[in-house]
Amino acid sequence: MDDPTPAVDSPTRAGPDDAVDVALAQSGDTQAFERLYRTHVGRVFSLARRMMGPETAEEATQDVFVRAWEKLGSFRGEAAFGTWLHRLAVNLLLSQRTRLGRDRARLEPTDGVLEHRAGRGPRPELVMDLETAIGRLPEGARQIFVLHDVEGYKHEEIGAQLGIAVGTSKAQLHRARMLLRSHLEPQARERM
Amino acid sequence: MTNRDPWTARLSEYVDGELAADERVELERHLTICGECRTIVADVGRLRDLAGTLADREPGRDLWPAINARIGGEARMLPLRRRWAFTLPQLAAAAVLMLVVGAGGAAIALRATGPAASPGPAVIGPADPAAVPIALAASTSFDHAVAELERVLAERRNLLDTATVRVLEQSLRTIDRAIAQARAALLTDPNDPYLNAHLAETMRRKLNLMRRAATLVATS
Repeated sequence: MDDPTPAVDSPTRAGPDDAVDVALAQSGDTQAFERLYRTHVGRVFSLARRMMGPETAEEATQDVFVRAWEKLGSFRGEAAFGTWLHRLAVNLLLSQRTRLGRDRARLEPTDGVLEHRAGRGPRPELVMDLETAIGRLPEGARQIFVLHDVEGYKHEEIGAQLGIAVGTSKAQLHRARMLLRSHLEPQARERM
Repeated sequence: MTNRDPWTARLSEYVDGELAADERVELERHLTICGECRTIVADVGRLRDLAGTLADREPGRDLWPAINARIGGEARMLPLRRRWAFTLPQLAAAAVLMLVVGAGGAAIALRATGPAASPGPAVIGPADPAAVPIALAASTSFDHAVAELERVLAERRNLLDTATVRVLEQSLRTIDRAIAQARAALLTDPNDPYLNAHLAETMRRKLNLMRRAATLVATS
């Protein structure tokens, strides 16, 4: 689970050329690793916040960079460093998810609420605080929504990462989207 | 309570283009008569697009000090001075380094000639017990790190001035010879503490030299 080597080139946003700092960090230069941290911390922290929630995002981000330092010797440059780091972060965050508390407020995951909300009222205004709404999704739906719609993973990759069937991933994604839609809807109404 | 449109659960797949052709045709026929499904399709499409544009956000505080403490950064960090070229003292140090390494290589050669060879030269110092297991165990990671640094330096050597490149390459050639000699000697005597210490020290010197050069181009 910890092996960050991507089987498929995972989606990543364009990053700067890290080659020099990666090489220096691999030789033990923590100053070079700090530069890599500063380049990529926003992306890793955002991923952690969306997948784990704001309460544990900072600690999880630290864990990701410590693990990256430990695994840096295995980075062979087949993918961009940012891609490698992102994959490592996803693996680590998914492995941590089961041992963290789940007492945060969540949207009601029942289909009854979903169906009720979806069947009435104006369309949701989708420029609302989507970040907040994502944080209130049930855990499984949230992680799949983040990986698919935010990070651009395919259902096949998500299924492999989470150990679930592709159909389950699709169903959870649809559930997440409908919950977000219904959650954002009242806020949209307030602004009208 | 469940009086649900049978197509509702398939709308995300439709938006993502994952329906089979026949299902797609059938759903599109349904959309012509179902306003609610049309609305959901539009909303899901916008939601998906919006999710793909969410901006990254920095943490509220600097996490680096804690990370640095966890990876032992304070102990590992070397005082690298960032310059565009080596200074005269640095060039002199490189020359001394070549002599030191050369002395180590000479000692290895003497050891290889017979058991009566004298102990290692004082410039290397006594074998560091902590360094003994490093030399052999770290060879793979050392080779990889060096390869990466060599690649970086090859790509960006034009950022260094000619004199710096010349000294750097000369020093590296000397160090490489010393490393090769030490490794060859260790093949016949892998547990020799002096040889291990010398190899570890020489590898460390090479990495330090390459790191300094790579830092120069990194900050250029």
